[in-house]
Amino acid sequence: MELSESVQKGFQRLADPGSFDSNAFTLLLRAAFQSLLDAQADEAVLDHPDLKHIDPVVLKHCHTAAATYILEAGKQRADKSTLSTYLEDCKFDRERIELFCTEYQNNKDSLEILLGSIGRSLPHITDVSWRLEYQIKTSQLHKMYRPAYLVTLNVENTDSQSHPEISFSCNMEQLQDLVGKLKDASKSLERATQF
Amino acid sequence: MLLDLSEEHKEHLAFLPRVNSSVVAEFGRIAVEFLRRGANPKIYEGAARKLNVSSETVQHGVEGLIYLLTESSKLMISELDFQDSVFVLGFSEELNKLLLQFYLDNRKEIRTILSELAPDLPSYHSLEWRLDVQLASRSLRQQIKPSVTIKLHLNQNGDRNTKVLQTDPATLMHLVQQLEQALEEMKTNHCRRVVRSIK
Repeated sequence: MELSESVQKGFQRLADPGSFDSNAFTLLLRAAFQSLLDAQADEAVLDHPDLKHIDPVVLKHCHTAAATYILEAGKQRADKSTLSTYLEDCKFDRERIELFCTEYQNNKDSLEILLGSIGRSLPHITDVSWRLEYQIKTSQLHKMYRPAYLVTLNVENTDSQSHPEISFSCNMEQLQDLVGKLKDASKSLERATQF
Repeated sequence: MLLDLSEEHKEHLAFLPRVNSSVVAEFGRIAVEFLRRGANPKIYEGAARKLNVSSETVQHGVEGLIYLLTESSKLMISELDFQDSVFVLGFSEELNKLLLQFYLDNRKEIRTILSELAPDLPSYHSLEWRLDVQLASRSLRQQIKPSVTIKLHLNQNGDRNTKVLQTDPATLMHLVQQLEQALEEMKTNHCRRVVRSIK
């Protein structure tokens, strides 16, 4: 895990009972997780009366350091022993180490979901809707009498947050072909995930 | 249902009895070819020279034939109706028979060509798929994230359009389920009744 000197310093400061008493430490730690995981969180996370006595520059530095460390740990899938080792090296006492690990464990799943959702990927299909119609005639062709499907795929783009749709028409044979192929994919997926 | 042929149309077709039946058959062949590939004016000139008439006359004759065939095919008129419609042109029985046969032989193909003229949505051509497992990303290591990558081939106005998409296992199952329901719909009583009553 590679952390900059600034982050390391900020984090080590959190171990010092002189800078952060037990209560302040807990509050700051929770604020760090909240900033990362709560979509509605803003600078007000640090606006707690029990943190008022601390120099705002120090507060901000340590909050950032904690958040950065949490992200790194999440990214690397750090386990309890890795966390403990690093915290010991930073001179955290037993009580604070336990507290950190507990908070981390509580938030681990949300953190991993958040990190997993960052990144580029292909447009992602989220849903499908369909329409069945019976074609009778067009301006070019009368007496048609055939069923036709209109299929719309709802698609999400990770980076642009746009939701384009892909619509296409198909007849019965084509839809059977489409469904057949998707079923093949689904079965292969089932087999492959049964290791 | 009888075809309603305009005076201009009848005039154009009036050229046909003036040539022998093998020429009419050739015109018919040209007409269908033009429907498939688009018109080629040079053909008119070549034929005009051989028949010793203006190329405009040839063009009108072929176009008249094209219109006769497409309208008949579009409306899917019966043999009897076709014969009755052509009767008003006052052609010989041999020519009438030739035209009828030509209509019946080419009707299916002409209808297929006409169906491609309808307001066009992209239509399904084919689909390829691939299973992937994401193992890591820049922001998260040690992942096992299965996904399905899909290459959807669509046709529109003769062009191939390819979309590359992805989905997760749960959504894939959902897609299959939804589309199977769509296929099942055609077999329901409601749809069967509708199909039976619209004829």
